[in-house]
Amino acid sequence: METATSDEQVVERALSGEPEAFSEIVRRWERRIFALSFGMLGREEDARDATQETFLAAFRNLRGFRGEAKVSSWLHRIAVNQCITRQRRAKVRGETALEDEAEKNAAVFAMPSDASPARTVESLERSVAVKRAVSSLPPDLRQVVVMKEFEELTFQEISEALELPLSTVKSRLYTALRQLQMRLQKFGGPAR
Amino acid sequence: MKESNERPVCHRADDLVTYLYNEATETEARDFANHAAACDACRAELVVFRQVHESISVWRNEALGSTFSPEPVPLPVTRDVGLPTVPPRRRLSALDALREFFAVSPLWLRGATAFAALLLSVLAVLAVSRLWNKPAPLANQPTTNAYSQEEFEAAVAKEVKLQMELLKSKSTSTEGPTLTAKPAEKNRPTQLAENRTQTKTRPRGLTRQEREQLASDLRLIYRDDDDLPFVFSEEPNQ
Repeated sequence: METATSDEQVVERALSGEPEAFSEIVRRWERRIFALSFGMLGREEDARDATQETFLAAFRNLRGFRGEAKVSSWLHRIAVNQCITRQRRAKVRGETALEDEAEKNAAVFAMPSDASPARTVESLERSVAVKRAVSSLPPDLRQVVVMKEFEELTFQEISEALELPLSTVKSRLYTALRQLQMRLQKFGGPAR
Repeated sequence: MKESNERPVCHRADDLVTYLYNEATETEARDFANHAAACDACRAELVVFRQVHESISVWRNEALGSTFSPEPVPLPVTRDVGLPTVPPRRRLSALDALREFFAVSPLWLRGATAFAALLLSVLAVLAVSRLWNKPAPLANQPTTNAYSQEEFEAAVAKEVKLQMELLKSKSTSTEGPTLTAKPAEKNRPTQLAENRTQTKTRPRGLTRQEREQLASDLRLIYRDDDDLPFVFSEEPNQ
């Protein structure tokens, strides 16, 4: 993202007490963090909560940001941690399967009326399968898949955000795609 | 097959994902395409990975909407679209400030200000006119009050006569009033004649300043006491 003022400069302004500076950080990164959170968690409501918590945590720990890392890396790290924490709580409560079923039922009613029932069910099942497959990936692989598919970042940007070598990012994505392919086969999904 | 991070089958896994997501350069893409044509593993994985990628995209578009973009929301630009904006504060000149003051002030205040200004103007005019029209010294008085030489001599003569009469009246006060009256009666026609002749030229009345000035002039003219037709005693009452 090329901006006239870099993220680091905006953070400096926020640290110096400028009230609108952190709002600029939120404006720049809100949609990306939301996309990341949605990819990690699979639900819009959870993604919104995780996004808000990400920026709240970033604001609280603003003084701890020493500029050694990029702002994008810092925010991504916070967001991923928030998502992982949420997923653990959900697993503990056993809510995941029920949420999937509830979402599928809700999506059935939301489908356009001109869609055929068979296609509707197939589409929904495919989406649920993909979502479950992505959610079951290890966090480090899931993070790369989500950043690539949901945030639409380039490999170079993912490398900078995660502070990983470019080859490592590509290797992780390759591995994630292979595992997704196997999971989707396991769930009866489209990737055969 | 293990689900952990195992090594890809083909050693060109990085190039595969770069090619898959269209981030390869033209040269790199041509090179990998040639490789995939010869490598079954890469060709098969390319097909499978495209399906996974498409499935994820479908899920993403259904969940977030096909128009969703992770790019930041642009800042609202109001200046370029002609929306009314608060104009920058301009520095008012004194005249503009006065105009604005009168525009917002009530009617009575405007009237009071105008009256005060008028009064001030009148006072200023009066003050200036007094400065221009200050009384001139006696020597520069208008000619109506200036004496000609003849008038001056006549006035002096008259004054001298008057003084003489006074002296005589005082000296003959024991003899009776007749003596004093006679000169008055004797000289009366003369005096009347003189008064007639002087009527035209005699000034209407001498002011105090004029009398004082005349007296001082008289003293200046008769510098030598011997020239005086009479002698003033220092103590006339004696």
